[in-house]
Amino acid sequence: MNQELGKIADVLLETGALLMGAGANTGRIRVTVNRIAHSLGYQVELLITHRALMVSVIDDEGETFTSKLKRTPPHGVNFKVLSGISRMSWRVQDEDWELDRINEELNRLKSLPHYPRWLILLLVSLAGASFCRLFGGGGIEMLVAFIATFSGLFVRQEAVKKNFNLFICVLMAAAVASLIAGAAVKLGIGKAPELAFATSVLFLVPGVPLINSFTDLIDGNVSTGIVRGVNGFMIAFCIALGMMLAMVLYKI
Amino acid sequence: MEEAFLILEKGFWAGIAALGFGVLFNVPQRTLWAIAWIGALGSFVKFVLLEIDVNIIFASLAGASLVGIVSIPLAHEIHSPPLIFSIPAVIPMVPGALAYQMMIGLMKIAVHTTETGMEVVLTDTFQAAMKATFILLSLAVGVAVPMLVTRKESAKRIRIKL
Repeated sequence: MNQELGKIADVLLETGALLMGAGANTGRIRVTVNRIAHSLGYQVELLITHRALMVSVIDDEGETFTSKLKRTPPHGVNFKVLSGISRMSWRVQDEDWELDRINEELNRLKSLPHYPRWLILLLVSLAGASFCRLFGGGGIEMLVAFIATFSGLFVRQEAVKKNFNLFICVLMAAAVASLIAGAAVKLGIGKAPELAFATSVLFLVPGVPLINSFTDLIDGNVSTGIVRGVNGFMIAFCIALGMMLAMVLYKI
Repeated sequence: MEEAFLILEKGFWAGIAALGFGVLFNVPQRTLWAIAWIGALGSFVKFVLLEIDVNIIFASLAGASLVGIVSIPLAHEIHSPPLIFSIPAVIPMVPGALAYQMMIGLMKIAVHTTETGMEVVLTDTFQAAMKATFILLSLAVGVAVPMLVTRKESAKRIRIKL
């Protein structure tokens, strides 16, 4: 019996850890894990923190229980996993899935590919150019923002691949993007090159951590909310530091 | 007339920006077109409100709330949680320019050596910082509006007819 409980705990922890890594807020993790546990016929208690999860699985009679702890994977926003697990949790409930079936689905979701790298680079750089337009830039400024975003994102992808610290990755990307956009300011390319300079780093903005932070705080999950907020602000600080570097070097 | 066209055009670019962030966040492919549309819609509403002199904080709140509400029926239709649609769609409303102004201001404060003109820098910097914070807060609240208003644990239980 205890072995069975242990297996259940493993699946629930794996689900929760994947959700936390993919950028789900705390309420969503709790609801999803509870839904799966109840569908399998167990009571469950959860402790959710940013870097680790703890779960206690209790059987129907409330006599035997197992507790397990799991470290969450490195955080990287992945909405495909988030959406897949959400769908899965409903199907577990509606179609009475067995444990093996859930494990299979989790493994499948983990192996789902990202978009091709060139497409990400292209579309995110277009987004950078769009931001520049939104703040009132013209064609030349948009082109500068496009090139700066492209280079910055390329550097971040390479840095992530080489396993640099998350904040160093952001700092390097911000520095490269602002050095390129800053060159346009220094040389006076276009009417308002500082618009391109301000928008070239916006692809690094920690939107998901900050929105999740506020969502958690509103929800009453204050501890995870604070951790996410601090993480978001540290990323923002690294972006600022990267920009500062360009400004000091170019004296602009 | 020209202003109306400019707002429409800005809405278009916001849609492109939302699409870019959707790809960056690795959303399922079937949700991409919807993300572009509601991203454009939310920012369009924000810019219209800004045009009739609504404060940028309330304009952002209105745009984000609309995004949050529309993403519920979309979630039912396309079978993905609402936040998959709403988070990339509100990213174009992130106060990047204000954050930039705040940054420049902080640098001026840190590097400044003379006493003159410091009051202006201080108030400008503080104002930019406060605006940026409240806009971010209103984006998060806007995205969560349907959940907060209906007090449901899952969007599956919320019925919004388009």
